[in-house]
Amino acid sequence: MLDKKTLQRLAELSRIKIDGRKEEKFLGDFGKIIGYFEELKKVDTENVEPMSGGAELMNVSRKDDLDDELIGRGKAGFPEEQKGFLRIPGVFE
Amino acid sequence: MTRLQDLTITDVRKGLLERKFSAFELAKYFFDYIAKRDKEIGAYLSLSKDEAFQQASKIDVHLAEGGELEPLAGVPIALKDNLLTEGEICTAGSKILENHISSYDASVVEKLRKQGAVILGKTNLDEFAMGSSTENSAFGPTKNPRDQERVPGGSSGGSAAAVADGLAVAALGSDTGGSIRQPAGFCGVVGLKPTYGRVSRFGLMAMASSLDQIGPIAKTVEDAEILFNAIKGKDKYDSTSFDIERESELKFEDLSGLTIGLPKEYFNPEIPGEIRDKGELEPEVKKAIEETVAALKTLKINFKEVSLPHTKYALPCYYIIMPAEVSTNLARFDGIRYGREKATDGRRQGLRDIYFDTRGKGFGEEAKRRIILGTFVLSSGYYDAYYKKAQKVRRLIKKDFENVFASGVDMLLAPTSPTLPFKLGERADDPISMYMADILTIPANLAGVPAISIPARKAGLPVGFQLIGKWNEEGRLLGLGKFYERVHETL
Repeated sequence: MLDKKTLQRLAELSRIKIDGRKEEKFLGDFGKIIGYFEELKKVDTENVEPMSGGAELMNVSRKDDLDDELIGRGKAGFPEEQKGFLRIPGVFE
Repeated sequence: MTRLQDLTITDVRKGLLERKFSAFELAKYFFDYIAKRDKEIGAYLSLSKDEAFQQASKIDVHLAEGGELEPLAGVPIALKDNLLTEGEICTAGSKILENHISSYDASVVEKLRKQGAVILGKTNLDEFAMGSSTENSAFGPTKNPRDQERVPGGSSGGSAAAVADGLAVAALGSDTGGSIRQPAGFCGVVGLKPTYGRVSRFGLMAMASSLDQIGPIAKTVEDAEILFNAIKGKDKYDSTSFDIERESELKFEDLSGLTIGLPKEYFNPEIPGEIRDKGELEPEVKKAIEETVAALKTLKINFKEVSLPHTKYALPCYYIIMPAEVSTNLARFDGIRYGREKATDGRRQGLRDIYFDTRGKGFGEEAKRRIILGTFVLSSGYYDAYYKKAQKVRRLIKKDFENVFASGVDMLLAPTSPTLPFKLGERADDPISMYMADILTIPANLAGVPAISIPARKAGLPVGFQLIGKWNEEGRLLGLGKFYERVHETL
């Protein structure tokens, strides 16, 4: 169900390089894990709503204020900044 | 004379008030002990001596001036290295973050500091908290202090080992599928996974956001309670966090009216053929749990066998939902933020090269496996068959808990892990057998209920039992835990 081609496609989508020598091991492990997933097919989930979070609470919102402290914390994770903008390598070559 | 590394949080407070030692002396003692002992155990990844001594001195001055002591004043505490501390390296056990410096304190860290805690350093973990043995760290494994040929459990293995060996008085860990409770059980200490949302996750490196919770690892239930009370509560930076009106409690006179359910699926886990032996209850574990139940019966507590019929689907359900969230959460480690892998052949790197180089070299095998697995279950054509199906099964698992608690059962008791701590290397090459280690802890994360692991025996290799409670009833779990410790002490 998960062949070499699909694995390579998934790796591409995930932006991960898989060492050619490790492909076989990955495929073997995935085979076992996904095989285990098949257990879920035995469960009747007709009319069951998917559970999409850890707690089902009311929506929480706060005012959309500028939080300079938070922005500062976020920016600190970036290596380069120029004139108040975050600098990253070019997207187009 | 008690050795200082055996002190509990309560002892530290008493010792400071009685001037038996200063906070500075205590911090110094712990760093000396770590320098001597941690070469063998490998619990810590980094130490923050300067900060710790500064904080300790502040407390000593405050105390000398006649000030009141905050609840955690002077208490040497360790943090799992996926919790951010401003200005210090936070690796999450991954090579990709080897040099990453946090730009702020996690909300729980901020709370600890305000309450006087002396943070000693950051502890080892499986990469991004993915694993059950702490062997999966890019910086080498941690050993179980009770038997150094064995794993301390994981992923908070460094925190559990540190507390078990007296390298810290208490610690924080994080629990996504058992990562606080399982290592606590393996190392013979107490570990609490709170109800989802009771502790802010802001500043915890996210693994699976709908499952992660931060919680205490401590030597006693009382210490776990003190630490939990110190970190809980609503935080504006985590919209899933909340306050509750009043903490639940359990008084001695409540014990005779208490009903504890023994879920039969946890004592005889149903596992498909070829991997069955890795998830079955070992006889020694079973015996220790039976003795725990017998000890609790002396408190006139009622026990009742109960059933949570969807338990056997929890593990496959978890291994769909968790990797799906991992694949999205770990997308942020792209080489643009948080450190970059430089090309070794001197070529100029475009954005694409940076992504592939950084992620290819920076992530370990388990992280890659989970990212790819998550990408798979979320991809078009498989989403309904796997991810959506798992979300539905998750609801049924939660419903099992609702039903059992509605039937007059106050809490559940079960082993924390099906096995004793296993040997280093024993499961490292086989992911599924490693996943089996969490078979009894995962359901609580999927349902969001609180659960605590408490040592079931003192002699031999550690065995933990867990109490699983109703949503927001940490107070009752901790309450019963404290009564158990008293009974256990006299046995």
